Amino acid sequence: MVLLVGLLGACSQSSDTGVKTSVNYDADYAPEDGGTLIDATRGEPSGLIPMIAGESAASEVAQHIFSSLLRFDKNLEFEGQLAESWQVSPDQKIITFKLKPNLKWADGKPLTSADVLFTWKLVTDDKTRTPYGSDYKLVIKAETPDARTFRVSYAEPYAPAINSWAGLDILPKHLLEGKDINTTAFARNPVGSHYYKLEKWRPGEQITLTRNPLSSQGQAHIERLTSRFIPDEAAQFLELMANNIDAMTLSPVQYARIFPARPELQKKFALYKELGNSYTYLGFNLKRKPFDDIRVRQAINYAINKQEIIDGVLLGLGEPVASPYKPGTRWANPNLKPYAYDPAKARALLQEAGYQDRGDGILARNGKPLSFTLLTSQNKQREMSAVLIQRRLKEVGIEIHIRVLEWATFIGRFIKTSDFDMVVLGWSLALDPDQYSIWHSSQQAPGQFNFIGYNNPRVDRLLERGRMELNADKRTVIYHELAEILLEESPIVYLSAGYGLQAIHKRVKGIPDPAPPAGLGNNTHEWYIPQPLRRTEITP
Amino acid sequence: MLSYLLKRLFWMVPLLVGISLISFLIMHLAPGDITTSEAGFDPKSSEESRQKLREMYNLDKPVIVQYGLWLQRMVKLDFGNSFASHQRPVFWDSKDKEGNITPGMIKEALPITLLINVLSLGLIILIALPLGVISALTQNRLPDRSITLFVFLGFAIPGFWLALLMMYWTGVMHDWLPISGLHSQGAEKLAWWQYAWDSLQHLALPVFISALSGLAGISLFVRNGMLDVLHQDYITTARSKGLPENSVVYKHALRNALLPLITILGLSIPGLIGGSVIAESIFAIPGMGKLFYDAVLMRDFPTIMGILTIGSALTLIGNLLADLAYAWLTHVYAGE
Repeated sequence: MVLLVGLLGACSQSSDTGVKTSVNYDADYAPEDGGTLIDATRGEPSGLIPMIAGESAASEVAQHIFSSLLRFDKNLEFEGQLAESWQVSPDQKIITFKLKPNLKWADGKPLTSADVLFTWKLVTDDKTRTPYGSDYKLVIKAETPDARTFRVSYAEPYAPAINSWAGLDILPKHLLEGKDINTTAFARNPVGSHYYKLEKWRPGEQITLTRNPLSSQGQAHIERLTSRFIPDEAAQFLELMANNIDAMTLSPVQYARIFPARPELQKKFALYKELGNSYTYLGFNLKRKPFDDIRVRQAINYAINKQEIIDGVLLGLGEPVASPYKPGTRWANPNLKPYAYDPAKARALLQEAGYQDRGDGILARNGKPLSFTLLTSQNKQREMSAVLIQRRLKEVGIEIHIRVLEWATFIGRFIKTSDFDMVVLGWSLALDPDQYSIWHSSQQAPGQFNFIGYNNPRVDRLLERGRMELNADKRTVIYHELAEILLEESPIVYLSAGYGLQAIHKRVKGIPDPAPPAGLGNNTHEWYIPQPLRRTEITP
Repeated sequence: MLSYLLKRLFWMVPLLVGISLISFLIMHLAPGDITTSEAGFDPKSSEESRQKLREMYNLDKPVIVQYGLWLQRMVKLDFGNSFASHQRPVFWDSKDKEGNITPGMIKEALPITLLINVLSLGLIILIALPLGVISALTQNRLPDRSITLFVFLGFAIPGFWLALLMMYWTGVMHDWLPISGLHSQGAEKLAWWQYAWDSLQHLALPVFISALSGLAGISLFVRNGMLDVLHQDYITTARSKGLPENSVVYKHALRNALLPLITILGLSIPGLIGGSVIAESIFAIPGMGKLFYDAVLMRDFPTIMGILTIGSALTLIGNLLADLAYAWLTHVYAGE
């Protein structure tokens, strides 16, 4: 205690890293270079080679360091990143990429098609410890006719291919050839070709990136990006309040309750929301009775009030979904509407399916009551959704027991073995509409992703056709039809798609508001921090 | 004495093997493995690649075979590499052909946890000793009662709650102490003494919070030990000889009362390497607690086993050291 009081007294004069509060953060400034943006993430990357690391903490940092052949523009359409152009052959089996001229790695060495070929070989190598090789293994021939051309051939047209080349970060051959990619020190000391390069990684504390003068994409405005690893959400928020970090992801409570109640925070921070790439759903085990009966599934769908879940769990910060695609993108069928909340219809459907009240408020048929266990993972939002579902289903005569499980147990013990009645889970979605692994009837083996056991020949055919069709308009028609069948058959009940919520300090300018479909992070290179608004930094 | 020591050391070996076997089995009782926790639910990942991984890590073999393989490495003090995608060594640093050093996970997390725990244990003893003595001397009167109340409050208050309040008070409301982390931005540009001061400021709250909950145990232990001793005949004798009260209390009573404390300190040695997950998460400190917790969630078996083995070895050594110190001190005192 004495020591603490001593410290308190002695350091009350210590460095003031914040800017004086009299600065008007709302004023307009012209874009300029320089400054440091500090944000907080909950996890530390395990490494910075995206194909190996896999977790979101890694890709969030690595996306500033490495470039792919293609990327998504702000409207989620493809555009060239390292590639200047790309062409699909008439038979849709060959894709040819032409690289931009004079590309360089951050260490000054030229970036050529040989690097792309090398990266493809790495990701398809059986010795590479990556779960993401399957898309690239479909390439039967990869070649480099010259230093700026990269050509891949497929045995048959494969539509997700284009998307897969937007997801493969190109790695430098000259630094990685002959090394074991799984354990190489490169993972902690990467060299890329994007806007930023690694300046310093303090393990367990933070990663700092600094501008890459040889960037293949031109120059970003902000000089330095620092990501601090702060696992606790409340501690992150305190750091934000104390002006020690510039940006963090908010929970719905922080966004909708705490911020509005604190004017001093509103003075310094701007709030942003963007539609996330995931949705929450209630899934049935279709191999178990009575979930093989479409009437039961539809009844449950009608009995659940989705708006109540959005209002109660997400505090209104989300949208209902009616297809497994991000609302507002071309793949989401705009004509589809979620099942309305209609308990009377639910009861009628259950009665039609032969279920009668046995006197205790729970429906039963042939002595078998509608009583199920609902499993979900340790995730507050999913748990709360489960409770709301439990209550609504009770009103139509279905009894639910909720069981909350730790993630690895949930997946290992229950999902892989298909040992469940109902689950509340989420899918985060790649931007390509191909969902073969989730809905196709061939994907039901233990460990595969059609663990609900969905089996519909029409859907199978659509999924197969969608994979073979590279024309975006024709694909759209296919996936709109797919979504229509899924909604009608109700193998899962779409619950909600939550917004990604962000607080960013007003000293950071150039952020698009509202966020474009691709999200806030799509144009970070255009963000800037005007000189008068910068934090004072420690100088030697 | 030497044969006793050798005997104790010898018996530690089967004990360690037994402990590690039980830990290994219990760890495998939990469903799931590294392939279910990592990328296990990404529709872009394939089951074949996960199967490949299982074979690579021998997870497809019977548990007892896996234990045998682990033990085989362990006798050479090889803790192995993590199952996580970075495959970093669990304990020792590894060096590749170019001389790049990959730091071991435990080796990286241990110093900071040790530092916090040693500082906090030091702080506990520094405060708990006088508190205990005062309590004993004023038994059942106001100072005793208020000290007991204070240490129990410290014991009962949830650490994470107090930590957040203190962070808010000293970091947000006033700019007295940093909120979380170990260093300030740009701290590497500071002179070494400024750097040390900066680190000390960052450690102040975590150490304070962790010490607060430990005060109750030690201070009550000292209090009760003192009370026991103060009622002994030789203290009455010392008093009746007319020795000054200070000499009675501090020279004769306290020294004897402190003897059992050695056992407690011996037992707290393994605790020194264990961090609190909650405190480390809140203060964003990359210590052992977080390392262990994440390893369990991820089913990173080599890391879990590495930490458990070091912990159990330290427990056994701590017990042994306490016994030895006890024997030695009794010997010294008896010799007096």
